[in-house]
Amino acid sequence: MAGWLAPDESVAVNLTVNGEARQAHAPPRRTLADALREEGFTSVHLGCEHGVCGACTVLIDGAPVRSCLMLAVQGRGHAIETVESLCDGDDLGALQQAFDDNDALQCGFCTPGFLMLIEGFLRLEPEASRQQIVEAVSSNLCRCTGAVGIVQAALDFQSTRRRSP
Amino acid sequence: MKPAPFAYAAAESLEEVLALLGEAGDDAKLLAGGQSLLPLLAYRLARPSHVIDIGAVPALDAIDERDGRLRVGALVRHAALERCELNGRWQAVREAAALIGHLPIRMRGTLGGSLAHADPAGELGVVATALDADIVLRSVRGERTVPAAEFFIAPLITAAAPDEVLVEARFTAPAGGFRSVFEEFSPRVGDFAYASVAAGCRVDADGAAHDVRIALGSVGPTPIRASAAEESLTGSALHDAAIAECARMAATACDPSAGDWHADGEYRRALVASLVERALTRLRDTP
Amino acid sequence: MTTAHGPLIGVSAPRRKNLELLAGKATYVADIGLEGQAYARVVRSSSAHARLLGVDCSDALRVPGVLDVITAADIDDIRIPIRLPFAESPEANRALQAPLARDVVRYVGEPVAVVVATDPYVAEDAAELVLVDLEEMDPVVDTATAGEPGRPRLHSSLGSNTVNQLAFRYGDIDAAFAEADIVVRRRLRVHRLAAAPMETRGLVADYDRNSGVLTLWGGAKVKHFTRSLLARVLGLEPDKVRVVEVEVGGGFGTRGEPYPEDVLIAWLARRLERPVQWIEDRWEHMVATNHAREQEHDIELAATAEGQMLGFRVRGWCDHGAYIRTQGLLPVVLPMLHMPGPYQWQAFSMDLDAVLTNRTPVGTYRGPGMTEATFVRERMVDILAAELHMDPADLRRRNLIPAESMPFVFNPGPGSSGVMPIAYQSGDFVESFDEMLAAADYHELRAGRQRARSRDGKAGVGMAVYIEFAAVGPFEEVDIICDGRGVTVRAGVGSVGQGVETALAQIAAELLGAELEDVSVEFHDTAEIPQGFGAFASRSTVLVGNAIAAAVNEIRIKSAELLGCGPDGIELHRGNATGPDGRTVPLAELGGVRGRFDKDGLTASFGGAVCSASVDPADGRVRLDRFLVAHDVGRAVNPRLLRGQLAGAASQGIGGALFEELAYDDNGQPLSVTLADYMMPTAAELTPVDLAVIEHGSPSNPLGIKGGGEAGMVGSLGAVVNAVADAIGDGADLLSSSVSPARVWRALNHQSSLDGAGRPAMET
Repeated sequence: MAGWLAPDESVAVNLTVNGEARQAHAPPRRTLADALREEGFTSVHLGCEHGVCGACTVLIDGAPVRSCLMLAVQGRGHAIETVESLCDGDDLGALQQAFDDNDALQCGFCTPGFLMLIEGFLRLEPEASRQQIVEAVSSNLCRCTGAVGIVQAALDFQSTRRRSP
Repeated sequence: MKPAPFAYAAAESLEEVLALLGEAGDDAKLLAGGQSLLPLLAYRLARPSHVIDIGAVPALDAIDERDGRLRVGALVRHAALERCELNGRWQAVREAAALIGHLPIRMRGTLGGSLAHADPAGELGVVATALDADIVLRSVRGERTVPAAEFFIAPLITAAAPDEVLVEARFTAPAGGFRSVFEEFSPRVGDFAYASVAAGCRVDADGAAHDVRIALGSVGPTPIRASAAEESLTGSALHDAAIAECARMAATACDPSAGDWHADGEYRRALVASLVERALTRLRDTP
Repeated sequence: MTTAHGPLIGVSAPRRKNLELLAGKATYVADIGLEGQAYARVVRSSSAHARLLGVDCSDALRVPGVLDVITAADIDDIRIPIRLPFAESPEANRALQAPLARDVVRYVGEPVAVVVATDPYVAEDAAELVLVDLEEMDPVVDTATAGEPGRPRLHSSLGSNTVNQLAFRYGDIDAAFAEADIVVRRRLRVHRLAAAPMETRGLVADYDRNSGVLTLWGGAKVKHFTRSLLARVLGLEPDKVRVVEVEVGGGFGTRGEPYPEDVLIAWLARRLERPVQWIEDRWEHMVATNHAREQEHDIELAATAEGQMLGFRVRGWCDHGAYIRTQGLLPVVLPMLHMPGPYQWQAFSMDLDAVLTNRTPVGTYRGPGMTEATFVRERMVDILAAELHMDPADLRRRNLIPAESMPFVFNPGPGSSGVMPIAYQSGDFVESFDEMLAAADYHELRAGRQRARSRDGKAGVGMAVYIEFAAVGPFEEVDIICDGRGVTVRAGVGSVGQGVETALAQIAAELLGAELEDVSVEFHDTAEIPQGFGAFASRSTVLVGNAIAAAVNEIRIKSAELLGCGPDGIELHRGNATGPDGRTVPLAELGGVRGRFDKDGLTASFGGAVCSASVDPADGRVRLDRFLVAHDVGRAVNPRLLRGQLAGAASQGIGGALFEELAYDDNGQPLSVTLADYMMPTAAELTPVDLAVIEHGSPSNPLGIKGGGEAGMVGSLGAVVNAVADAIGDGADLLSSSVSPARVWRALNHQSSLDGAGRPAMET
């Protein structure tokens, strides 16, 4: 039977991030977002730490999730993907390129979260309608662009992926 | 905005959950999807001494329709509920699940977590109230069921004892063409609703409504069953005037003290009336 | 001045940095992790107004991992000064904020102590154990009455809560009102808003004992001012303080001003001699970072029956919160400057008071003062149009200052105090206005509104026009260093996420005949750049762009001397200067060349917004069908970036009108401390923003540029509220800049109406 971890007990947390095994060390209360950042995945941004802004969105087993609303210990045994996984070597991946093409970013702080949100959503719903995409994109907050470019980037990426899945 | 310290254990079976609850004492919190608990921890509004992670407990994630009841396991995620195949009888369950927060919240959040959190704006609590759900609670003392009407006591307070775990909700609806829908008003997509309505009925061959069910969210300390409004419509044809009268009566069921600086009570009552009207019109007009 | 590759100014060059940002590789301040870094947590007041009887840190100090806990008793008794001389008053200078509260706390969120620990979680645990002994006092939370005699005083050194009174008299106001056929009067309220960038504030400070240098990462907007402030407070020479900018997650006017935390974190790093990081959390952000906008105005507008607007009187109260911060009295100065707008008034009379209340201090937020003043004036114009049964566009058009009157000045007359002339250098407002209406397809919008109404729809069209004053001086300097084909431009402004480095590189590349990719623009580190005033008031491209032009002129002069020709005969191309005789000198031989652009006064530009909206009578929900921003930018350096700025600012403004509000209860407790309560708009609520970019070159600078970073905001509140009021119809008295669903529903169902603050409205 599983035992208790004491509040200040830092435990080894085995995570799989972007296909690589990682061992983070975290006490129970450490959020997954903080643990990922401590592991060097600083693309996971903290905009609110209460699950509203979405800047910390990552994929857990392919699903877009707010990593500030998970404990690091809950990440054990799950496949985690961050924005680093979208790059094609040193080049941008297709979704990132669609963001660039559509002026879907300015300050860039919300960008990794939006990228993972859209990547995860379109894996789940590859044939999503425009309305569904708008609703999915409304999960996260962007303060610079007005979000219209982000929706267009998602639509462009959807058609790119349809052509060459 | 970092959680206060707590001891943590991940349970692998329901028996383990119960044993851990026994060890942890009265200040323990169960962690399922964490989408309500983690924000409370971040703001340190909740400071449990112990957190028991039930996310890996098997056999709590089934959706099963039998004997006229829809049984939904505590760990069924909103995203799964929103996408499952259910007939019109349970449509309100799916529609409500689809309106909970945003997509990433629904990917993690669970039915059990939502009901146990008992936020009066929680969509599933309103549906549970409308569809006479039995909430199944398990403890070392055994299993008991509590009707939704008795389960919700006050904001964030339920009838579950500290040593009990919510394992399932059993929604009930009559056979013979009963259908249900869910409507809400939130200022932005995904916000906590200012008002919500779960409604259902069966329309007989003469066009008269029977088994009318109407429950309201965000307009009182708990979900509210609008019994007088239900009665006003029972046996009546679903014509506009009857619907409007029913909507008016539903609005009077709201708690007059409900409301906050975003939306006062008068506004919320008006929203309830318009949502009930919309819900009943859909039940009438959608084949 | 074109080059082999054609012009670069006016080209939509791709934004620099995007690759790094999209790959998640950019470094924001929270991403800095120095060896031995400790973490600070600020203990804040939970009360809006209370005597601070004591602070007991002993429990906090006993928490394992805690390195230090400080209170006001530990640090010198200093105040954070106003950084703009024209935004001071003797009273304002007696209401400055100390880094940590002394004797009295004056708003919820005011810093009282700071805990430093080896881990941010532990720092937060210990901060909860700091016992703050408070004796409650009555709070002041109403803007319009805050300055009245008998109200509790926030600062005992002041006779009242009024810290400045501006008066502007122009023309014979009594004669204008005597001539009027109609006078409309209202009390209008502009609600409290936050810039709320997605990245909260944050700082890292490190003190190197060997070199005696203190480095602060995270200050972005006014780095050189922050440097001198820290040097003074810490008793260091200015060259022993470095302020370094890292990637910034949005500024919008609020980030990068020196706040109490900048002083505290730098001070702690020096005291502890180890790096200290502080990252503001979102709750803190909502109570600690400058708020904006909250004002009330009693305004009356006089006109003839034919729609000639004769004059206006306004009596207004501009809330500054509990303290005057670095931006001083701008929250009262800027509304006054922008209130007359583009109209040919015979007379006006303005009295605006700066008042203090027990709420978070107010500073500037994108389009400061001008957004508030534009809402107040333009709302009144629509109310007048409704009274006169005139098309609001016709009413505006006939009152615009005609082009032949340019340049135009409203000079303050007898009885004025504390104000400067309001001067418009150039522009053809009527032509620009017509361009805006054409771009918006205004007549079709009005026709669509009629069609919707014939189907019982609640549809409306609204607009707001404005004058924006931007590009404030006094000057900026740049150094240009040519090295082979590469060019480095060092400037003193800051990047706050707006992409200014791309526009500046375009200017430098075009003027130097360089390839765009060979130009790098640096402005991140005070140790490496000349002086600078910072990124505010849409000034960066104007000031620095023209300083670059000045430096290039200097390069021409220097190379002409070497080549024995006149500077006009020099051709600059790929790192070389070539004379008329074909002789060439490499620019690398010139060394660093400095350019400076001095700018007097402000550059005025005309703009407006047009909005069509519909409302749902059942729930008060507003749907925007169309939103257009028109703005005279003088000259668009990078149209694509400019459009991003205009559309982004407009979207922010739309959110401010439809959803966002920083609310307080009667005890001064903030109600909007989560992002679930401070409701910023998302993709589902926003509409594409159409743009009409007008280019009437500015005579005030050689490149002809006007500001553009804020303009999209300025007309947003006015246009949205006017459209919603038009949709509700029957002369709906919308008197607040917020048209949240609840307010719209109330206006639809209680047209007897209340004023913006909930009191009965004044009569028309």
